Amino acid sequence: MKNKPSSQTKLKKDVLEQSLCTGCGACVGLCPYQVVYRDRTVQLHNCDLTDGKCYAFCPRTPTDYRKIWEILFEIDEMTPEIGAVKGYYLSRAADPALRAKAQHGGTVTALLEVAMDEGLIDSAIVSSRNEEIEQEGRLVEAKSQLGDYAKSKFTVSPTVAAFNRVMGDTAGKVGVVATPCQALALAKMKTARINDDLKINQLNLVIGLFCGWTLSVESFHRLLQQYQISPEAVTGMDIPAGKNVLELYTNASVTSVPMVEVDACVRTACRYCIDSTAEFADLSVGAARFGGDCDEMRGWNQIIVRSEFGKQVMELAVARGALEIWEAPASALQDLKNVAAEKKRKALKNIVEKSRSVKNLLYLNSDDPVVKKYLK
Amino acid sequence: MTKLLSPAKSKVLFLGNEAIARGALEAGVAVATGYPGTPSSEVIESLAHVASERNLYVEWSVNEKVALEVAAAASFAGLRSMAVMKQNGVNVASDFLLHLTASGTRGGLVLVSCEDPGALSSVNEGESRYFARMLEMPLLEPSDFQEAKDLTKWAFELSEQIGNVVMLRSVTRMSHASGNVICGKLPVKSRKAHFEYNGSVMDSSRGPMISTPVVAKHLLHQQKLKVVEALFEKSPFNRYVGAAKPELLIITSSACFLYAEEAIELLGLQKRVGILKLGTTWPLPPKLLEKHLRQTTKILIVEEVMPFLEENVKVLAAGLVNRIGAKTFFGKYDETLPSVGELNPDIVAAALCYILKVKSKTLPANYLSDSRKAAALIPAREQTFCAGCPHRASFWNIHNAIALDGHKGFVCGDIGCYSMAALSPATGYHTMPTLHSMGSGTGLASGFAKLAQFGLDKPILTVCGDSTFYHAVIPALINAQHNRADITFIVLDNAGTAMTGFQPHPGLAISAMKEVVPALDIAAICSAIGAKVAVSDPFDLETTGKILTSFLADKGSLKVLILRQACALSPEKKGKKIFEVKVNESLCLGDACGCNRLCTRIFRCPALTWDRTKNKAVVDEVICAGCGVCVSICPQKAIIKL
Repeated sequence: MKNKPSSQTKLKKDVLEQSLCTGCGACVGLCPYQVVYRDRTVQLHNCDLTDGKCYAFCPRTPTDYRKIWEILFEIDEMTPEIGAVKGYYLSRAADPALRAKAQHGGTVTALLEVAMDEGLIDSAIVSSRNEEIEQEGRLVEAKSQLGDYAKSKFTVSPTVAAFNRVMGDTAGKVGVVATPCQALALAKMKTARINDDLKINQLNLVIGLFCGWTLSVESFHRLLQQYQISPEAVTGMDIPAGKNVLELYTNASVTSVPMVEVDACVRTACRYCIDSTAEFADLSVGAARFGGDCDEMRGWNQIIVRSEFGKQVMELAVARGALEIWEAPASALQDLKNVAAEKKRKALKNIVEKSRSVKNLLYLNSDDPVVKKYLK
Repeated sequence: MTKLLSPAKSKVLFLGNEAIARGALEAGVAVATGYPGTPSSEVIESLAHVASERNLYVEWSVNEKVALEVAAAASFAGLRSMAVMKQNGVNVASDFLLHLTASGTRGGLVLVSCEDPGALSSVNEGESRYFARMLEMPLLEPSDFQEAKDLTKWAFELSEQIGNVVMLRSVTRMSHASGNVICGKLPVKSRKAHFEYNGSVMDSSRGPMISTPVVAKHLLHQQKLKVVEALFEKSPFNRYVGAAKPELLIITSSACFLYAEEAIELLGLQKRVGILKLGTTWPLPPKLLEKHLRQTTKILIVEEVMPFLEENVKVLAAGLVNRIGAKTFFGKYDETLPSVGELNPDIVAAALCYILKVKSKTLPANYLSDSRKAAALIPAREQTFCAGCPHRASFWNIHNAIALDGHKGFVCGDIGCYSMAALSPATGYHTMPTLHSMGSGTGLASGFAKLAQFGLDKPILTVCGDSTFYHAVIPALINAQHNRADITFIVLDNAGTAMTGFQPHPGLAISAMKEVVPALDIAAICSAIGAKVAVSDPFDLETTGKILTSFLADKGSLKVLILRQACALSPEKKGKKIFEVKVNESLCLGDACGCNRLCTRIFRCPALTWDRTKNKAVVDEVICAGCGVCVSICPQKAIIKL
């Protein structure tokens, strides 16, 4: 009777077995069947349901991008390279203590703190790293704790799973800090309107993070082992501009790992990702490193304002004196677009290499105008 | 007084295995040993029960080989003794048995093998009758309950007379059926144990007990069989029923005699078919066979599983062909009877119809369609673990750990209730693809773990029960450690030999005779071997899961996890619930939940059912054993402990 393959089977065939799973956690926490172990999505038992949310919300299943744009953003603000752009600035947290704790300018933490202060969100989901450099989404309900989760982690966090778990709970209005794949999953959830599920309305703010790739925990552990660094000793990581290395900080030392070695540890799924700026967030934040004069920009972020609500949050943060912003030079935006376009080209090239056909773009649609533009 | 000690001449309803035990008591058995295994276990259990009254020594031995060795020691010291096991137990004992038949015995020693044609409670339908021929020892097969008692008693006398071990074979339908037995006398005198070994090496009653010089002793051994042959010619346990010159002669033994009798009666063929029922099936008495083979040209041999009797009769008949003429044999070789499984009167009747070209009494025309209709009304039931069985929780943990680990590990299975995980794969959550003999799971795992250089690089797990651990796993575990096999070895310790009825084993502080004995600690044994050892409660899914996933990720060493939780049916647990468990109907979302009925569709404890009208899970409080594991698996936390 059941000829239709289950959503779980489709997810397995189309995403997991194709190495497309980003580990975002969108399919996890909705049911007992998918779980995240280390940074892998695991299907524990078979589920025979069709039309499942697991498949619908996955950022690596077919997506109607146009529909999401229309619902979340102004169509005339769309750019092919970096999605909707309502405004583009350089920014940093006004509080130097906060900046010291943060990876770059502390913008994300400053925005969350203001949003929480002003009652725009009641809690935030951020990612938290354990000693094994595995991450999980963590619900933070106290403003004072937000700073503890600052800093880049370079491995994937099943952040959306944490959101799935808190939905309907007492978490109230939720803000989520999301990588591009996670922001896309959240956007799919917001715009899907499955079963009139009102819980999604709890999602009030998505702050996107610029993302070039994430590391596979297993490969990264092996790399650390080569450098005789135990995962729990790593206190921070950074990719300083222009050096082409990943710096690993421990309390005792700084180790520079050549990018070619790091590259080998990148999650396979990230090679097929066309989004480097979290195009489906309200606001997207990255390091201000794309500009010509790198040194001058150290300690600053760049921020793309995408939605009306995102704009309000940023303006409020500025008005409350929590965030400093600069109008970014036009060249910086162009640089950012160039880098983002390059990622799209490269990802599409990798996709075609994998599928061996320009007609089969795995999770992407070959008729999509953005896809068409960069599929060369 | 137990019925096993009923006075002489009384008529008692005995289970086949009790009749064997009574026969041993009448023969004056002093030492009885065995390893539990269906359908054999009640022989030792019955004797253990009367051990103090009858001044017996009865033990559950660690395995069948040791059981036979312990019994043989008593025989060497002049006492009557027996070792009892199921069919495949004889394989375990066989190495010692080979040497035992060569050295000979003194006090009557009987090896009882209770076999399981059709594998009703086994994972094999092994035949031990061939051991009788291969190792040249007399074989006796009772075909009713009185004979079970009488043949057992005689087996001791025969063993003593020839100075060698005698094998008595029963089958499930004999051991586990009941019938009336007229009891004989129980001996009053008991013997004193004395082991004499200063005589000549060729003097089996006074010299050393040894199989050498091999050729000379082998000849002596075979000469004893000649004595046996002569005794069997006159044995009252072989008898003929039927016409003097039957059209068809059935030669049979064991419970098959009853099937043959019933089939003849069913078809009214008493005048055309005769039955030669043999109680002594190896070596065959040639003169008796010759006498009956002469009377007819058609012979049907009725026996279960292997064509043992058929082959032996044919060999005899071939040697006698000048005197008895050519015969037509029916049996397993010509496929008149099935070559596998149990027989029954219907199968034998069908064979008779075929040979004698008679019509069977047909069933009513609509019998088949009616029975199919009735069958459809029977709810489908799967073989599964009991409600509250720790094995379900253990396999849940194992499955999840293998899935999380993500490297497609698998479990090598072993013998116990947990074999169900292989017999009914959904019950073990599809984790256990191999199942062989006791202890072989660990041996196989030890082998699979060495195949990485040939491209099979997966986490290898194996399970065994607590009793199985002592029985045959220890050498395999030592092998794994010695050869650096990276395996995760899981002991499903449910505090007893649960499958066969909670017989004690070396891990428990009690013996077969209810004496306090030292309990051997599995964890300490594994630690001594050098394994990494952890102990956990399988009902604690979180802790057990963490240990298992860490073991699977921990490469290059032997890891042991002991999952301790007593069997839900164990005498100390039975009827007592740890928790009262129920479904909170306001929390269970039914089909609106994303769980897709995880509790009843995947976890499948028989105490969990689905209320189709309410569309919610229900705990059947009558069946529920209160283990509380389902509380941990419900994602909605709708199953609650009260």
